[in-house]
This record gives sequence, structure tokens and C-alpha cells, in this order.
Amino acid sequence: MFELFAYGDTGWGDEILRGLAITIQLAIVTLPVGLFLGFLVAFASMSKLRALRMVGFGYTTIMRGLPEILTLFVVYNGVGLLLNMAVRWWNPEADAIDFSPFAAGVVALGMVFGAFAAEVLRGAFNSLDTGQSEAGRAIGMTPTQVFRRIQLPQMWRFALPGLGNLWINMLKDTALVSIIALNDLMRMTKVAVGVTKQPFTFYLVACLIYWAMCVLSELVLARMERRANRGIRRV
Amino acid sequence: MNRPETILKAQDIHKSYGTLEVLKGISLEARKHDVISILGSSGSGKSTFLRCLNFLETPTSGKVTVHGEEVLVKNGKPQNARHIAEIRSRLGMVFQQFNLWTHRTVLENVMEGPIQVKRQTKAEARDKSEALLARVGLEDRMDMYPSQLSGGQQQRVAIARALAMEPDAILFDEPTSALDPELVGEVLKVMKSLAAEGRTMIVVTHEMGFAREVSSEVVFLHNGRIAEQGPPEEMFTNPKTEVFERFIAKVM
Ligand SMILES: Nc1ncnc2c1ncn2[C@@H]1O[C@H](COP(=O)(O)OP(=O)(O)OP(=O)(O)O)[C@@H](O)[C@H]1O
Ligand SMILES: [Mg+2]
Repeated sequence: MFELFAYGDTGWGDEILRGLAITIQLAIVTLPVGLFLGFLVAFASMSKLRALRMVGFGYTTIMRGLPEILTLFVVYNGVGLLLNMAVRWWNPEADAIDFSPFAAGVVALGMVFGAFAAEVLRGAFNSLDTGQSEAGRAIGMTPTQVFRRIQLPQMWRFALPGLGNLWINMLKDTALVSIIALNDLMRMTKVAVGVTKQPFTFYLVACLIYWAMCVLSELVLARMERRANRGIRRV
Repeated sequence: MNRPETILKAQDIHKSYGTLEVLKGISLEARKHDVISILGSSGSGKSTFLRCLNFLETPTSGKVTVHGEEVLVKNGKPQNARHIAEIRSRLGMVFQQFNLWTHRTVLENVMEGPIQVKRQTKAEARDKSEALLARVGLEDRMDMYPSQLSGGQQQRVAIARALAMEPDAILFDEPTSALDPELVGEVLKVMKSLAAEGRTMIVVTHEMGFAREVSSEVVFLHNGRIAEQGPPEEMFTNPKTEVFERFIAKVM
């Protein structure tokens, strides 16, 4: 069975590894996009302005109510359409541009991640002890300094476990993107199964790879949590 | 003899929360080397007043002047708000709950203000912070986190953190109230040494011994007003108002 996974023309090892690389790339590119969106939505929903709060809460409510796969289809088909409409409005002569499956994956998974991350971040912000930022204001720090030097690092503590879960969910959700023909780990596995007619072997290998990525993530997260919790008395 | 220069002046400070008027016009002047103790029963507005001095709480109206920087407040709106940061960096504050930054070591807590606010170099801030921590007797705790320290030690770090900003005056809000009785002494000792070297201090306290022996002036708040004010010996031996007389009878 090892020749099945040989590297090169005879086996599927290289295809699967390339699929894995795309899966990892997709997850890693989505993370900052989702986090950024999460912060944006979290601050919108904590804003003094009613309209912004509505936008923030509206976004999380809608995104949480949609199946991920539907979000992906809507983004892939809808955003591509809108993009082309916008381009043609700008310049009717322009060629149609391709909204790649990878970009659609980043946008869709980022939107989902952002919605859930916003809730995690909002919860973390509300758990902060106000005395900590008062001490910063009292020595003359600007609001930006208070946020960057005190609130943000202390938010990590509360947010990290929740964000860690979201990361692992997202890592697994990347498999959905195989449906819109991105050559990720899941799709390469399916292709291999189609050709070799050995579903059990290949799906098992895919399981092991996803599982290994999750275990690795959990190890890293545990380390990060230990770091973020430095100085906290454990009870 | 010339009187020392005025460091801090608060004029007619009012503060309301909704319809509840907590401060009903308080004025106070602190000259260099003054140690002013603010006394009063719970809910009389002591913390609120202290927090209005550095605008952690925005007064409803009034004027605060520190070292010539003046902030006037009308209808809850500071008229020259850009002076607030300046005033804050000139006033140290020590909180009842210490409020040391839990994610930073003791030394980092003290260095933070000089580096971030005063833009000192790391080396300069470190030297000074180490000296200040030695001064409050914590030179061997510098790399620990606040949670690894006793309350008394944490409060001494908080005092060092305030001193690191080289403030013109330091505000204390019940600095010993959260401490176990056996730890009160070590903090009071540091505060006494600050008073002895001529620091200007405004101290909200329930420590009558400190108010009586260390302060140069006592202010007694009652229902959001100054009910009585004067040199401690005179006030404690010969209270002029019935409310203050009852207050000392209750706490002594
Ligand atoms: N944020 C707030 N909102 C509403 N009311 C407040 C607020 N902060 C303080 N108060 C009220 O203002 C009054 C004065 O409070 P303050 O904390 O200044 O009293 P204090 O003299 O410091 O009392 P203590 O000795 O208990 O610390 C109290 O009645 C309190 O309930
Ligand atoms: Mg108080």
C-alpha cells in the first residue's frame, strides 16, 4: 500500500501533500482576516452609536444563523458577480475577472470566523477589570496606549481559549472549500479515491492528517495560553 | 515667610450621578509639602472627589488647576480637555485595590509610565525604577508578578509606580483599606517617609493615627460638602461641628 502514497507520478503522496499545503495556506490566510473582522464587529457592537451597534449585532446574528456551506456558495457566486458588475460599471471594456475559489474560501471562512470571534472578543473585553485601565489613565496614558498596553494583552487571556476553538473549527471547515473546486487536502483525497477506488485507505489518511493538525494546534494553543496567563494566580 | 507654591487647586467641584448629587461644591488647595487627609463616613463622596481631581471621574462642574494647567468643566464638559493628560501625568494615584497590571512584572509595572508617557529610554527608566523599588523595600521582588506578592507588597509597588512619574502630588484612595491588619503598617511607613521628605499628598483614609500624626491638614466630608477643615490636632481635640464629633467618637 505504500506505493499508493509514493511521491511522484506513480503515487498520490505529492498530490495529497500539495492539497495539505493549500489547506494550511487557506487557514493561515483566513485567520488574520477573520480576527480583523472580529475586532471590527466586536467594537461595532460595543459602540456608543446605536446604528453601529445594530450593524454589529445584525452581522453576528445573520452569520451564526447560516450554514457555513451556504455562506461559501453565496460568497463564491454572489461576490464574483458583484465584483464583475462593479468592474464593468467602472470600465465596460474590462475582461471578466475570476474570483478564485481560494479567495472565496478566505472571504467566506473569514466572515464566519469573524462573527464568532466578535462574540469571543466582546466577552473578553467585558471581563476586563476596569481598575487596570484606570491605573493606565491615571498615569497619563492616551486611550490608544491603554488599549494597546493594557486592555489588548489582558483580553488575550480571556479570548484565547475561545479563539483556539474557532481556529480548530475553521481548520476543519476548510474542507468545505473542496466543493467549489479548490484543490485542498479534502479534494485531492476525493480525487485519489475516485481513481484508485480505495476509499477507506485514503479517507483514513485524510482523517489522520486533519487530526494531526488539530493536535498540533492544541499543543501550540496550550503553550500560548500558559504564556498569556503568566502572572495570574491559579486557584 | 513666603508660603510654598500652590500645587493643586480644586474650585467648586460638583458631581452628580443622574439626580443624585454626590459632591455639592468642594474647593481645596494643596501647597507644596502639604499632606491633606480626607475623612468622612462611607458614601460621603471622598473617592468621587479624589477621582475628580485627575478626571478619572469627570466633574459635573468646577475647575481643577495643577501646576498652572487648568481644566474648567461646565455641564459635564471639560472646556480644555487637552490639559487632562498633562494633569494626570503630574498627579500620581494609589488605589485601594492596588490595580497593578497583572500581566507585567513588578519592575515592568514601575517602568511603564516613564517609558510610555515620559518617553524615557528603557535603561534610564530601569535604573530609576530599580532604585524606587529598593526604596520601598522590594529590590528582591522585581521580576515577580503582582499576584505573587502580598497585598502590602503590592501597594508598595503601586506607590513606587506613582513615584516613577515624578509627580507634583500623589493622590491616595484608602491605600490600606484592602489590607490585612498586619500589613497596614508597612504601607503606612512608606507613606510617612514620603511625607517626611516633603511630598505633597492628598490621602483619603480611615487611619485616624495617620491623619492625626502625619497630615498637615484634615478635611472632613459630609454629604458631599466639606463640613470641617483644619490642622489635625485642633480638629481632633476640639471638633467644631457635631457631625465630626460624632464621626471621631465612632471611629476612635
Ligand atoms: N458610578 C456611580 N454611579 C452612581 N452612583 C455612584 C457612582 N459612584 C459613586 N456613586 C455614589 O456616590 C456616593 C459617594 O461615593 P464615594 O465612592 O465617593 O464614597 P466614599 O466616601 O469614597 O465612600 P467609601 O468610604 O465607602 O469609599 C455614594 O452614594 C455612591 O453610591
Ligand atoms: Mg471610597
